[in-house]
Amino acid sequence: MHIQRTNFLVRFYHQLGSPPSFYRISGYFLKWLLFIAIGLTIWGLYDGLVLAPADYQQGDSFRIIYVHVPAAWMSMFIYAIMGVCGAIAIIWRMKMAEAVMLASAPIGAWFTVIALVTGSLWGKPMWGTWWEWDARMTSELILLFLYIGIMATYSAFSEDNRKAARMAALIAVVGVFNVVIIHFSVKWWSSIHQGSTVSLMGEQHITWDMLRPLLVMAFATKFYYGYSMLKRARVYLLETESNKRWVQDIVLGEKA
Amino acid sequence: MKPFLALVKRDLTLGLRRKSQIYQPLVFQLLVVTMFPLGLGSGAKTLALIAPAVIWILALLASLLTLDQIFKNDYDDGSVESYVLTSYPLPLSVMAKVMAHWLLSGLPLVLFSPIIGMLLHLPSSSYGILMLSLLIGTPIFSFMGSIGSALTMSLKHGGLLLTILVMPLLTPVLIFGASAVVESALGNSAAQALLLLSGLLILSITLIPFAAAAAIKINLE
Repeated sequence: MHIQRTNFLVRFYHQLGSPPSFYRISGYFLKWLLFIAIGLTIWGLYDGLVLAPADYQQGDSFRIIYVHVPAAWMSMFIYAIMGVCGAIAIIWRMKMAEAVMLASAPIGAWFTVIALVTGSLWGKPMWGTWWEWDARMTSELILLFLYIGIMATYSAFSEDNRKAARMAALIAVVGVFNVVIIHFSVKWWSSIHQGSTVSLMGEQHITWDMLRPLLVMAFATKFYYGYSMLKRARVYLLETESNKRWVQDIVLGEKA
Repeated sequence: MKPFLALVKRDLTLGLRRKSQIYQPLVFQLLVVTMFPLGLGSGAKTLALIAPAVIWILALLASLLTLDQIFKNDYDDGSVESYVLTSYPLPLSVMAKVMAHWLLSGLPLVLFSPIIGMLLHLPSSSYGILMLSLLIGTPIFSFMGSIGSALTMSLKHGGLLLTILVMPLLTPVLIFGASAVVESALGNSAAQALLLLSGLLILSITLIPFAAAAAIKINLE
């Protein structure tokens, strides 16, 4: 009764912390997130691959940037989210934080793989090599290892998923500190990768026609991540809460 | 301070009774070093070129062999529970365990490294920097390993998982450690790399015992 008198935002926040409410509320968002993600992807890819002008140096092959850079951004963005959720999972033992963190790991890992593979495809015509032990590539590869480590930790403790989730959360949190250190250590070590083209503040090194599709794709991947993560978190909840009444209601309801 | 020293002393006593834990990583190093001239040819120039990296990677691999032992035996015989239950702060117990582990596994590596360096034709003027860099770097292996060991101590075969978890986190140590030796072999100052390495060690001493203590508590639930 108490919770009904508090304001809408506080109530919403608390409801998201409870698995049945999270399941119900996320159900409303799923369709829209996917719809927006697909729409933005089509717009971004058409804009980037067809409408944007060719680069004066790299010709048409620069267009892979519209996949490569958003994927690389997402690989780091998702890791940051996992670090925050991991800390919440360890400190407040919030089940939803565990679910979000675990649901994010495979998505982040695949975005990392996409960034590495497209980078490699881009590197061949531009630098003449598939792979170079340069700072960005190396730290991106290590990021992939961290994602794999988190997933491996979770699967190693299969007998108790709450404990497994907190173990994985601890690795995620330790990893966040380390990603920063790794990033700078490999940066000082050697570099061939070009500097950032896009920066939030200061002078832009890219025309609006080229930048627009990139931003559209960056939003598209965020919406896709939102969709995919919620979907995975929902399945995770159904699995781990399978002995609870609300899950049985849903599963039996869908069967009937 | 008394419980701290008692714990270190206990671990050293136990460790010295199992001498194989101490000399086997060194034999392992020696064996792998033997493989390099066999695979690469015995040219002194080639070997000297790769020596800093090889010595550091070997130190890393040799440490990984024993890292899972930091808490494994104590978990099996129930001592870890007593560390958690006593009034003595858990992070300090972790620190004692790490220190004992380093004295038993890291220090022998440091002392043994000039022999490996000699076998790989590292210029003898770099031995000092080599030992110094290992002296600063190997404790970080033990610290980072304490998190890995605390996470995997309840698993039957946690060794590979520990390697997957710890190795990516140790790349900065390898980068700065090896570059210190490379710089000194080229006749340059190794100060920059050594200072960065020291910074990592200080970060490890101050932060990692808390992370490892958290890992132990989660694992014992």
